[in-house]
Amino acid sequence: MSEEFEPNIVAFLCNWCSYAGADLAGTSRMRYLPNVKIIRVMCSGRVNPLFLLNALQQGADGVLISGCHPGDCHYLEGNFYARRRFMLMRKLLEHVGVDPGRVNMSWVSASEGAKFADVVEETVAKAKEAGPMDQFRRRQINW
Amino acid sequence: MVDEKKLQEKARETLIRDDVRRLIGWKRGTYGFEAAPAVVTDASQAEQLIFDATCVANPASFIAIEEKKPVPRGAEPDTRKVAVMVKGCDSRAVVQQLVEKAYAREDVVVLGIPCLGVVDRRKAEKLFGQTGAQVSAKVDKEKVALDIGGDVKTVDRSNILMDKCLRCRYPNPLVSDFLLGEEVEKWADDDFADVDEFEKMSPEDKWKHWDEQFSKCIRCYSCRNVCPMCYCVECVVSKLRPQWTRRSTDISENTVYHVQRAWHLAGRCIECMECQRVCPVDIPIMTLNRKMTRDVKEMFEYEPGVDVEAEPMLACYNPQDPEEYIM
Repeated sequence: MSEEFEPNIVAFLCNWCSYAGADLAGTSRMRYLPNVKIIRVMCSGRVNPLFLLNALQQGADGVLISGCHPGDCHYLEGNFYARRRFMLMRKLLEHVGVDPGRVNMSWVSASEGAKFADVVEETVAKAKEAGPMDQFRRRQINW
Repeated sequence: MVDEKKLQEKARETLIRDDVRRLIGWKRGTYGFEAAPAVVTDASQAEQLIFDATCVANPASFIAIEEKKPVPRGAEPDTRKVAVMVKGCDSRAVVQQLVEKAYAREDVVVLGIPCLGVVDRRKAEKLFGQTGAQVSAKVDKEKVALDIGGDVKTVDRSNILMDKCLRCRYPNPLVSDFLLGEEVEKWADDDFADVDEFEKMSPEDKWKHWDEQFSKCIRCYSCRNVCPMCYCVECVVSKLRPQWTRRSTDISENTVYHVQRAWHLAGRCIECMECQRVCPVDIPIMTLNRKMTRDVKEMFEYEPGVDVEAEPMLACYNPQDPEEYIM
């Protein structure tokens, strides 16, 4: 088993900007890394930080939350709340000893397909550097 | 310190009022270094109320968690006020609950008590061992005089007071209808040196530390139950649909439990240290909470439990919030 470690990334993309951005990356035939598993949410403000913990528990090595640029939110202020939340959550996880590179956030608008590809690449690079997430992943219990 | 006679007199006066349902304060415990919280409904019971340096418990925890029983047909719901005695730190819990609109200001009567610090049971037991006797304690600016069943011991403040008292910035109640006793002068400041100290550790060491600590957790939920800010009718950790954390006590679920608890207290924790005090397995829970407090203060210039008019920290935003990690 000398294969390189391929991290699992869970990406929460907002319906109005980032998901459309990811769509654009796909329709314009841009290559981006296949490690990312996308979950569409209506707004980055919808993402509960417990989603993040749950993802890390269930096998994700990194999480990406992506929304509209500040000021462009479809719901006017959802991404501002998300920004505060994940800023704190990241600091908290860092305090517990989780690599902060596992918690990523980005602003990607619907026209930024190329940026989305870059963001994914950077996220995967950070997760690779941090290594497999084995700190508090759920373990299979053999009775 | 507050005169006990005066305190009981005021309590009696408050309980006689028609619009007060009950009063939450402290009474002497059966044994040991901590006074017991007391809920008093009748003026004749007012003489059991006390206040001294053993009154560690936070009475503000009991205001918002009252069970709302169904009102019998034809009866009027009980809308009378709840009276509560608070120290400086407890009053911040009341302020924060008011900020979050857990109840209205006119639903509570706050009897504020300026406080010079309270005794830490763990430190006391280290010094004098466990005791079956009733303990009372007098505290002044330099010394603490403990009366352990008639045996008086004098100890230096820093050796016996709770850590929160050694860095207390609000010894006087921030909200009160009646102030019992003289206001005291602030004696310390908080520089979050302990948080800085912890942050110097490498990520591996941090995780090693928390792995050890969280593994001890038996998930008794004492920290949640005693917390004045944990008054949700249905707590996220008890919920089964969706089930956020499983109830098994393995490192994965324990970590998530503690991280989510610290997260739910971000910008709300008023540092009464009740969670750490009641923990049966001595997990340093406040290390997480204080990190959040420090970060919230640094990044968003917000301090919980100080201003009744403030907005809850995560329910507001500033367009200029820091975002250096966002791609």
